Amino acid sequence: MGISIERKFTEQTRPSRAIFLKWPYGHPLGEVGNVKQHRAVLGEAFKLLQEATEPGTIVDVPFRWRREEY
Amino acid sequence: MEMGRLKNRLIARVFTMFPSLARGAAAKVPPLSFDQTPWAPFDKPLSQARIALLTTAGVHMRADTPFDMQDSTGDPTLRVVPSAAPVAEMMITHDYYDHKDADRDINLVFPVERLREMVAEGIIGGLTERFFSFMGHIDTNHFPRFLEDQLPKVAAMLKADGADAVLITPG
Repeated sequence: MGISIERKFTEQTRPSRAIFLKWPYGHPLGEVGNVKQHRAVLGEAFKLLQEATEPGTIVDVPFRWRREEY
Repeated sequence: MEMGRLKNRLIARVFTMFPSLARGAAAKVPPLSFDQTPWAPFDKPLSQARIALLTTAGVHMRADTPFDMQDSTGDPTLRVVPSAAPVAEMMITHDYYDHKDADRDINLVFPVERLREMVAEGIIGGLTERFFSFMGHIDTNHFPRFLEDQLPKVAAMLKADGADAVLITPG
């Protein structure tokens, strides 16, 4: 499963499963030292790994950049 | 540092500061095309699964050869990063995104410490001995080597290491 921050490229490369976050480049897991944030992203990725039933599933994770508490 | 690399790093920093500019630039990149979407069912408990990590963020061991920043068309070569290696022995060579934050906390692009924590907590079963890294700026002239040589090597190592799933992260 992939973590994407550029949906266009992810759609084109057709991974089996991916989560998408509209976050800046260089920060697919989030911010420096924000362990809870990193773990929340990984939680979404592993949830998709276990639940996806269709090839090419891309889930838009609704986490807002720097506007969430984890 | 030469002007070409400085320019690339400056552009990368601007793209991080203004994501809408980055997405505008990405929209101009010629589209990729693949015929199939790979699929393998994941049918074992996560707490028993062995997880691998693959990134395109340009991570490598400090002792390893850095990715080639002189070739403006990129570098398709693989680096292997031991999953148990200290993060202080890892570094990033990639001029095409701003990694100053990831230099401070490599977990932003290569969540090796987070995955170790999840193993320690029993959430995932284990990690493969080897993790993998590319530098994601790879132009089409490098595609044959990347797709027909390097990626099959990764697949073979994942199979040999008993990976049940692979987490793939960008830079």
